[in-house]
Amino acid sequence: MDIRTERNKEKTVITLTGRLDAVTAPELEKAVNDALEGTAELVFGFEGLDYISSAGLRVLLAAQKIMDKKGCMRVKGVSGPVMDVFRATGFSEILTID
Amino acid sequence: MKIELTGRIDSNNAQQTEKEIIDRLAACGENEVVLDAAGLEYISSAGLRVILRLKNTYPDVSIVNVSSEVYEILDMTGFTEILPVEKAYRVVSVEGCEEIGRGANGTIYRIDQDNVVKVYNNADALEDIRHEREVAKLALILGVPTAISYDVVKVGESYGSVFELLNARSFSKIISTEPDKLDWCVGEYVKMLKRIHATLVPAGKLPDMRETAVSWARFMLDYLPEEAGKKLVSIVEAVPHDDHMIHGDYHTKNLELQNDEVLLIDMDTLSVGHPVFELASIFNAFIGFSELDHEVIKSFQGFDFETARTFWKKFLSAYLGTECPLKLQEVENKARIIGYTRLIRRSIRRGGLESEGGRAEIAFWKERLLALLEKTDSLVFSANELEVAASAENLGAVQTFVDERLQAADCPPNIRLQVSVAVEEIFVNIANYAYKPGAGSAVVRVEVAEDPVSVSITFLDHGVPYDPLTGKDPDLKRAGEGGDMHGLGVFMTKKLMDGIAYEYKNGQNILTLKKNL
Repeated sequence: MDIRTERNKEKTVITLTGRLDAVTAPELEKAVNDALEGTAELVFGFEGLDYISSAGLRVLLAAQKIMDKKGCMRVKGVSGPVMDVFRATGFSEILTID
Repeated sequence: MKIELTGRIDSNNAQQTEKEIIDRLAACGENEVVLDAAGLEYISSAGLRVILRLKNTYPDVSIVNVSSEVYEILDMTGFTEILPVEKAYRVVSVEGCEEIGRGANGTIYRIDQDNVVKVYNNADALEDIRHEREVAKLALILGVPTAISYDVVKVGESYGSVFELLNARSFSKIISTEPDKLDWCVGEYVKMLKRIHATLVPAGKLPDMRETAVSWARFMLDYLPEEAGKKLVSIVEAVPHDDHMIHGDYHTKNLELQNDEVLLIDMDTLSVGHPVFELASIFNAFIGFSELDHEVIKSFQGFDFETARTFWKKFLSAYLGTECPLKLQEVENKARIIGYTRLIRRSIRRGGLESEGGRAEIAFWKERLLALLEKTDSLVFSANELEVAASAENLGAVQTFVDERLQAADCPPNIRLQVSVAVEEIFVNIANYAYKPGAGSAVVRVEVAEDPVSVSITFLDHGVPYDPLTGKDPDLKRAGEGGDMHGLGVFMTKKLMDGIAYEYKNGQNILTLKKNL
């Protein structure tokens, strides 16, 4: 999995490419923790994300919990198959998905 | 006692011939009578009646050196079924002929543009020839394309059987002369093998390969440390009986391309059994025989060891329908156990222990065999099952393996993703908790059902009994307020799958996921 973080003042965009699974989730967790400081708007770019499991979703939920207090968090560019997973599991109602 | 029959025997001289024969036999007092028909040009029904009467007194009477013309008479009148009739054999020379195939029991040469002859190693090969013709006929009837011999000939001191094989080239020849056709060869080779392995053989028609392999394993008891020897015998014995056909000597010299048709030759090792025995002989043909001395393959197949290794890897991957390295390693290791067993036995029986070179190869194979026996508990494999160490680093391999099966079942991408997610949740659970703090393995099995079209993925482990379905579902709505997200993976699995079942049986956790397609 590739993680790219772009920062523009208080807005941070984290773009993911590849598979976000139990093995790669800790990398994202670190990237998110590094990005939270001073961020008021956190955006996840999922255009290149092929796969996400509970390990990745835990990271998103943890980020959501923090961002709820200091700003907002959005997920954009979710592919059809990944969206199906979000819908089936109820995550589509928890996360803000563009 | 041998009695020559000459010229014509018909009603003019039948009586006289009979009297002469009886007189000669009475004089010598032997019971075994062989009629040598080398000089016999014609025999009428009067002559045949002489032979019939002779058979009443001498039940073991046989006729040899029968010309084609006389053979036809004997065949038409049913005599070939009453007593042994041996044709006069055409003499064929293979000097300077191209060797096109080589099997366990003989070598195949092209004698002219349309014909090949298989020369048997065994000097007294008539029984082998009869056997091969029988099994080739059986294979043909069961739908496996093969050539059947139409004549038996003498080649020097040996016997040979002649086949028609027009414009044919062996796959070995194609691979060595047209390297860019390697992938095509692998594809056809696998297609043919699957056809063979899908062929059910009526009980008792072909030998059981497992019995042969058990005898190899028992032979090894004298040459392996006691524990290893016992384990070898027990795991070979534990391979379940299987009535599907295996070729037994399936390498690229025994596969011919005739015009556009792929044909099998060399059928004398045809048997029934689990495919692991076939894979063992294929492993030996491409790797085992030449693993120590890489030059061996060149003289045998015409291509080099690197090509042979590439062919084997591509073959195994295509045969099992997987790119998963763990699966390929698992099956290869099982095949190698039987393969090395056979190679060591073969070398010992050929006096290998008496020469330095022989001892070196035996030691080489034995070292590998012992290492494999240490880590292998079963020789059985299934293309739908993967056994791996229950460790998170194997997650990718497990997911790839399952996904390949779903892809083969034309499963749409969104469902494949959902199954993949569920597989992760279950496998990572096993990896993290089943054997803590020790280690162990897990088996993942994929089954596709037709009605309704669905896929089942079963996970088996020998770890601590644990039913993941008993936990409470997390409340996603409260995630943002710091709600407990414990059990999120199992929760997602339940949401994504159409069915999830758990049982603990025979010391195993068995968890089955089901998804309708």
